[in-house]
Amino acid sequence: MVEREKTRTDDVPLDDKAKRMRDLLSSFYNPDHSSAPKPPSDYENLDAINSTSFDPDHYMNVLVQKSNLEGLLRRHVEMAAEIKNLDTDLQMLVYENYNKFISATDAIKWMKSNIVGMQADMEQLLDKIMSVQSRSDGVNTSLFEKREHIEKLHRTRNLLRKVQFIYDLPARLSKCIKSEAYADAVKFYIGAMPIFKAYGDSSFQDCKGASEEAIVTVVKNLQAKLFSDSESIQARAEAAVLLKQLDFPVHSLQAKLLEKLEQSLGDLQLKTVRIENILRESNDPSKQGKPFESIPSTGHEVSVHGFAEAIRAYRVIFPDSESQLIKLAQNLVIKHFEMIKQCVKRRISSANFLGALRTIWTDVLLMDEVLSEASLADFSLEAGQVTVKKYVASTFTYLLQDISDALLKVKVSPKEEAEEHALKLALEASKKAVLQGSMDLLLDFRQLLDDDLGLLVKLREFIVDWVQKGFQDFFRALDDRFLLLSGRKNPSSQDQGLSEGAPGEKVLVGIVLVLAQLSVFFEQTTIPRISEEIAASFSGDGARGYENEHAFASGEIRQIFRSAAEKLLHHYINMRTQRVSTLLRKRFTTPNWVKHKEPREVHMFVDLFVQELRAVQSEVKQILPVGLMRKHHRSDSNGSTNSSRSNALLDDRMTQKGRSQLLETHLAKLFKQKVEIFTKVESTQESVETTIVKLCLKSLQEFVRLKTFNRSGFQQIQLDVQFLRTILREIIEVEDAIDFLLDEVIVAASERCFDPVPLEPPILDKLVQVKLARSKEQSK
Amino acid sequence: MVSFHRFVSIKKKVKSWSSGAATMQGGYSGIGYGLKYQSRCISDVKADTDHTSFITGTLSLREENEVHLIRISSGGTELICEGLFSHPNEIWDLASCPFDQRIFSTVFSNGESYGAAIWQIPELYGQLNSPQLERIASLDEHVGKINCVLWWPSGRHDKLISIDDENLFLWTLDCSKKAAKVQSKQSSGMLHYLSGGAWDPHDINAVATTCESSVQFWDLRTMKKTNAIERAHIRNANYDMKNNHILVTAEDESGIHIWDIRKPKIPVKELPGHTHWTWTVTCNPEYDGLILSAGTDSTVNLWMAPASAEDEATSESIAESPTQQADPLLNSYSDYEDSVYGLAWSSREPWIFASLSYDGRVVVESVKPFLSRK
Repeated sequence: MVEREKTRTDDVPLDDKAKRMRDLLSSFYNPDHSSAPKPPSDYENLDAINSTSFDPDHYMNVLVQKSNLEGLLRRHVEMAAEIKNLDTDLQMLVYENYNKFISATDAIKWMKSNIVGMQADMEQLLDKIMSVQSRSDGVNTSLFEKREHIEKLHRTRNLLRKVQFIYDLPARLSKCIKSEAYADAVKFYIGAMPIFKAYGDSSFQDCKGASEEAIVTVVKNLQAKLFSDSESIQARAEAAVLLKQLDFPVHSLQAKLLEKLEQSLGDLQLKTVRIENILRESNDPSKQGKPFESIPSTGHEVSVHGFAEAIRAYRVIFPDSESQLIKLAQNLVIKHFEMIKQCVKRRISSANFLGALRTIWTDVLLMDEVLSEASLADFSLEAGQVTVKKYVASTFTYLLQDISDALLKVKVSPKEEAEEHALKLALEASKKAVLQGSMDLLLDFRQLLDDDLGLLVKLREFIVDWVQKGFQDFFRALDDRFLLLSGRKNPSSQDQGLSEGAPGEKVLVGIVLVLAQLSVFFEQTTIPRISEEIAASFSGDGARGYENEHAFASGEIRQIFRSAAEKLLHHYINMRTQRVSTLLRKRFTTPNWVKHKEPREVHMFVDLFVQELRAVQSEVKQILPVGLMRKHHRSDSNGSTNSSRSNALLDDRMTQKGRSQLLETHLAKLFKQKVEIFTKVESTQESVETTIVKLCLKSLQEFVRLKTFNRSGFQQIQLDVQFLRTILREIIEVEDAIDFLLDEVIVAASERCFDPVPLEPPILDKLVQVKLARSKEQSK
Repeated sequence: MVSFHRFVSIKKKVKSWSSGAATMQGGYSGIGYGLKYQSRCISDVKADTDHTSFITGTLSLREENEVHLIRISSGGTELICEGLFSHPNEIWDLASCPFDQRIFSTVFSNGESYGAAIWQIPELYGQLNSPQLERIASLDEHVGKINCVLWWPSGRHDKLISIDDENLFLWTLDCSKKAAKVQSKQSSGMLHYLSGGAWDPHDINAVATTCESSVQFWDLRTMKKTNAIERAHIRNANYDMKNNHILVTAEDESGIHIWDIRKPKIPVKELPGHTHWTWTVTCNPEYDGLILSAGTDSTVNLWMAPASAEDEATSESIAESPTQQADPLLNSYSDYEDSVYGLAWSSREPWIFASLSYDGRVVVESVKPFLSRK
């Protein structure tokens, strides 16, 4: 025990000295520690004084051998000091050891004396504990019965309370209903449910009945709440939840509510219809000034707001009803666009169209907020695309209609107005209609383009495209329409739905001329302006690859109208000459020329011919520009000499009895410049007039060639032509070709005559003068 | 030219000189031939398989009229008068018999009344001093103005058709007996004044007649109208030799129309025609869609207008897109001094046609340069 204490004290501080001490001590207590003696190797073990193999003699020898005297002396002093130190240490250790031993002995002694007597105390304690336990057992058994009873009583009380609750339930429920605390009512009822289920048929029948009645009222009230728009959404949602808790068939409710929504949608539609009505009214020129949006859209917005709210509520109430709502909302959008489409059919201004679009777009945005899943924006974009496209197309259709109307107006009432102005008016009106119409159209489309409405912004590129393509198609259609109006085109091959003039109806000839001039106007003015305009504001900045397809090709269109103008002009000339041809045909087929009587007066066909010419002239004067190359008038006297000369020529021919007539003609032709009868027609007054006259005279010549005349017949022709020659000079510019043709008619008649003896010049002149006087009289 | 010169007077010499000069002036490729008087009709002598020949007759009220049989010389450089025969009256219509080169028909008039006859050119006419035409038969049942006599264009057929103002006659011709008998006759009906006609080369029993307001189609077996194209002022009609059912008409003012006679409502195609009246129109016997027209504007126009099915759809849009379609007008021969009334394709050399202007000038042209374009 002492040894152990010793090691414990040694454990504490570990300096060199202590370490050495511990080594020493351990070597003391454990002699076997270094039982394996190491062979003393000269130097290292010299200092290992503590090891068992330490050999003092060897050490001494080595030390002496190795160290000098001085070293040895120092070593000696060191050793002496060391030895002294060790001695004191040893003394201290011994002392301490002894001290501890004494105190241990004391402690053992004290313990031995105290332990005696403890046993008795312990036994006493045990006894006491035993008695306490037995007593507690006694109490327990004595109280057990009472506790049992109390517990029973408690249970009964609870039951009684429940029964009380159930008996009170109807009253409580009605109270709840009165105070509109439906949530409590439902909670109570659901609490009572299990009991009712268990005992409802027997003991609580009345109670159950009453409370069920009450709950029916609750349900009714809840439903009312659900459907009433005045309630807050929260309240309605709660009502829905409560109803669901009551196992009420919510689906039917949902359907009902949806129906209601649909109905409200219908109402909305009705309202919008009314709006459109207003819109249409505001289209009237009298109300044009009023801004469209201010009046009707407010009402509309409110109702749409309402609808959006309803949808929001519905979503809250029935969270799983999105698809139906989406359908509903899309329906709304579709209906809206349907309506616009209807309106577009009716023709509306772009402001109104924009307004309508804007209304729809705001609606859509509103709905989108509420029901983003429906992606109404995209949906309406699609619908909008169709609508805008339709709008653009229909606008062009209306423009076309306008122009046709402007033209047809003349057609309808040609006789009412002074004839001289009707065509001019028509021309001006349709010019204006086209130019103004297309400019307005461009302006309208600009509005569409410039509007910042989300829908339109997205469609901008498309609009640019549509407008360009629209113009292209528009002018093509116009060309078609012109041909149709002019009656050139076979109407049976065309769709006649648009054309108002019945195909059988005779086309007014003047219209053709108007159309021709209008085509020129298009080619020269309208189309360049429009293409300029388009380039300015509709250059397809965004339209990329397909731009080439739809771009407005003004060159091509101008080409179309250039050829159309030519065609129409020819057609006009054709129609006019055809009328004269009919006249001539009648003139030449009816009488028997071989048995013709002596001429007394100029035949009336000349009058009719002149009348036709005057009609042409009045039309031409209204429509066509004056030609630049205007020959100066020949004096009347010159005209008469001219005629006499031609008479002389004829006389000459006749005297030779026609023997050498053909030769002469050929010779004459040889030396005469070949007269170009049919030159290219220009769209000037003179050109058209002379062309018509020339064609008619040529026809006259051909008709004469088909007949055979006696002398009188020939003289009649001579007279007619002579008069014609005179009167033509009064009406139009007579060029050489016309003179030539007039001569040719007489030549043809003489060739086709058995006995071509011309009238004596005095008689001829007299007859002509008589006729001239008479016609002057008539005209006065 | 020798036989020709026998009949040529001084004036005629001047005349031929004048036409020669015109040839020089105009610098055209066609070869010319001058008739003595004005004339309207020329016909291809189809039955002459050895030569390309035409027959033509003059129209002179007061002079002695002539029938000229002309032939293209072997070199193709000039027109030779093969025969010159006097004809009693001015000739308004002339048609060569398609199966006998010596036979032809004329419609003539003395100014007051009309007649029609079948003539035979005498054999050995080259040797005779002044050969006389032999009248085989007179078609003398007519009363009014006779318009034309038609031979069936496709071959030997002993029937003839003659058309006057009001009636359509079908004759049986017996050349050997030199007799013509009326087989049947049909009045065109009130207010339908006939002006001409054409015999369908594909159907021996079908004839088209033109009148003021329509083209009427007749079945010769029943002499009943089968169909009609309502169209005013048709002056001339011609069946397409190559394509069945295709009829080309020329109208006074409104040009040329090509019809499929099964669809008489709308023309298959429309050609602008001439500046003044389009007088006559004739389809090439060999080349599809090649059409000649002559008009009173003193021009002959050569058209390429195939009436094939694929063109039908586009034909209606001709007016709309003139740029998209090739111009159907291949060439316009304008070197004539007067209205051109006579026009005939040669059936032997179908690229050659003869035209006759009113001043009596026959011009033969070749359309070969335009065929190569096809």
